[in-house]
Amino acid sequence: MSVTHDEVRKIARLAELDVAEEALPVLAEQMSRILEYVAQINAVPASEGVKPFIPGPDAVRFRPDEVKPSGLAFGPAELAPAFKDGFFLVPKLGAFEEPEL
Amino acid sequence: MSDPSEALASAKAAADRISKAKRLNACLTPIKDLRKSLVAQAQAAHPSGVLYGMPVAVKDNICTLEFTTTCGSKILGGYHSPYEASACAKLKAAGALIAGKTNCDEFGMGSSTEHSAYGRSLHPFDKTRVPGGSSGGSAALVAAGAVPAALGSETGGSVRQPASLCGVVGIKPTYGRVSRYGLVAFGSSLDQIGVLGRSVHDAARVLSVISGRDPRDSTCEDRDSLRLPTVPESLQGFVIGIPKEYFPTDLDPAVRRACDRAIRLLKELGAAVREVSLPHTAYAIATYYIVAPAEASSNLARYDGARYGPRFNGSEDVRALYRTTRGEGFGAEVRRRVMLGTYVLSSGYYDAYYRKAQQMRALIAQDFRNVFDRGVDLLFTPTTPTPAFKAGEKLDDPVSMYLSDIFTVTANLAGLPAISIPIGRVKGLPLGGQIVGQAFLEDEMLEAAYALERVVPALEEA
Repeated sequence: MSVTHDEVRKIARLAELDVAEEALPVLAEQMSRILEYVAQINAVPASEGVKPFIPGPDAVRFRPDEVKPSGLAFGPAELAPAFKDGFFLVPKLGAFEEPEL
Repeated sequence: MSDPSEALASAKAAADRISKAKRLNACLTPIKDLRKSLVAQAQAAHPSGVLYGMPVAVKDNICTLEFTTTCGSKILGGYHSPYEASACAKLKAAGALIAGKTNCDEFGMGSSTEHSAYGRSLHPFDKTRVPGGSSGGSAALVAAGAVPAALGSETGGSVRQPASLCGVVGIKPTYGRVSRYGLVAFGSSLDQIGVLGRSVHDAARVLSVISGRDPRDSTCEDRDSLRLPTVPESLQGFVIGIPKEYFPTDLDPAVRRACDRAIRLLKELGAAVREVSLPHTAYAIATYYIVAPAEASSNLARYDGARYGPRFNGSEDVRALYRTTRGEGFGAEVRRRVMLGTYVLSSGYYDAYYRKAQQMRALIAQDFRNVFDRGVDLLFTPTTPTPAFKAGEKLDDPVSMYLSDIFTVTANLAGLPAISIPIGRVKGLPLGGQIVGQAFLEDEMLEAAYALERVVPALEEA
């Protein structure tokens, strides 16, 4: 399994991560090695009948649908890098259309 | 302890001990802030609580009101949580004192505490070595005698592995035994809060306090808190399985010797010991490193520089903000795992990796059920394949680093409880033995751990 520099760029874009060009060779090499290692699970014969295992309670318990105070010690204004009039401030939206990934 | 002056003395003594252990870089809380908070907490603590005056350090990915919660990451630098984890609230209700935040691999991703944005933690017995991870700060602080117990968290062995390397006790409870409300999410189908302690008793009584139902976490089972067993006279009636896959021919000879000695002692205590097989063990690390990064890539999507944490440039447009904040805010290992998770979940690769890994996980869990269904009560294995390794030794080789969790990830994948206790030393470095229990039967697991702890020469060379 060999991951190319272009594939690393593509994955980084999907993951919303800036990756420096000079970091690409090491990342591609390490990801290739990891993916080669994890691909060993494909050596186990197909097990289509096996149901996924999910730990935890068999059923989700629902709470009463009641409006309660948040219980937070302080609000988002004190957490956010930029906050005004009840809104988180972010830069303008970029183009919705991105080049083909 | 029920005297307020004793609680105050305990708080001050804990601050002094943590200050003395500063060279380990195990505690991220500035000592001045810690001292002030500990005194205030001691004055407000409940004297009737079962942990009254007991200082308990908390891993930095568990939310506290007293101190910042950075998860060892630059992306949460200076973050003060507006709420506290249920585990911390339960500790305080029992009279315990939150004794600062401990260093960890960023967001719990690592096995050496070298992947912290705040510098690596040192092994308490050999500063050239790692304390393990990701709860390495908690393990180092307990091993240094600074606190009797600390909270950690586990996704693939992050409590038991550092406990083993530092010579302390580490407990990973059953998935659903302890509320995760306020534990910063990494791999949600695997994460659990665990406890590190200087003895089985110290760790177990903290676990007992933090366990039990919590309406704020729907994955927390609707059960009473764990009742602690008494120390048994013998292990008569227990059947302990030794899974042969955990004792490969190339296992470190000292680890094998220490385990052989512990197994002999289990037999002398009256347990029936028999070899068993968990045939899919060889695929556990591969399965884990698909499932956990996939979940991490989703859980860590929330760190975008918009709602909390620092913002790193990227003012051009909102996507630039996300990308620069995440690119600069996450360290190398987190970036690697987020990308790996994104890759295995992406179109064209989902079936080959993620779907297949989910099936493997089911087979690994079935292996355990098969063994327990045949009359085995508990399993005994080494906790780690080697003693503490040198700092930097595995940093450039992620697969080698991942393999240090080879004996611990299976319990996380299967959602089972497990405990690591010290069972010997090699050239002065601690070795741990692991007891794996059946889901929600921590009491049986603790009984065996109590009994073994009492007889094993944990400080002697194996």
